[in-house]
Amino acid sequence: MSLFPVFATTGSGLRANRIWMDAVADNIANMNTAKPFDQPAFQARYVRVAERRGDGSNPIGVGGGVDVLGADFGDATGDLRYEPNNPLANEDGLVRYPDIDLADQMTQLIQAQRSYQLNLTVIDRAKESYQQAIQISGR
Amino acid sequence: MGALNAILGLAGPAMSGATGVGGANGTNALAKAGQTPAAGGDGNSFASALDGLQASQGNADDLAVKAATGDLNDVHNYTIAATEASLATEFTVAFRNRAVETFNDIMRMQI
Repeated sequence: MSLFPVFATTGSGLRANRIWMDAVADNIANMNTAKPFDQPAFQARYVRVAERRGDGSNPIGVGGGVDVLGADFGDATGDLRYEPNNPLANEDGLVRYPDIDLADQMTQLIQAQRSYQLNLTVIDRAKESYQQAIQISGR
Repeated sequence: MGALNAILGLAGPAMSGATGVGGANGTNALAKAGQTPAAGGDGNSFASALDGLQASQGNADDLAVKAATGDLNDVHNYTIAATEASLATEFTVAFRNRAVETFNDIMRMQI
């Protein structure tokens, strides 16, 4: 991996965007997960990332991509709905649903997809550049 | 590769005995020209480059097996490793072609 640092850097970006898409998929899949009143609602997943410092191989200090630190969990209060026929309802007929905004999740999904494609473009361009460098020297 | 190593080994003692470039010493010119192709006249650097190439190809093969059996979470890791391995192979082949071509140019020189 040390021969072409750009691939390791872009690979970390691809991984972070892939995990972001996984988190959005998890949120959308659990949009209708009901919980009883006395339990916390399904919390929306957020991915926490941070920049990765270079390993010292780059002399001017250009970094090494992005690190996924972990997941953050959103609001546990959720959305209380009145469904007296639901077997999970308490004596007031309230059931806890997750408080996830579908428009927000779809926006995040589009952002994750476009970021993933941009990282793939970087890899393509870098590969073409190195192949053109080979054409300078040899047949 | 053995012929190239033999020629470069022959050029080594001649290089150490050289006093100047200005003289019409055919062996000296051969030694100095022979230093150029293989990164300092040492055939071992090419061997170590081949070892690194072998390692990257092996890594790409391992990831290919994992991608085929479904153990790979990030499929882009496999395609990136395959790209790096093919790029390293192209570099090594171009390097070898250049070295052989330079060697042939030297051997064709009329002394």
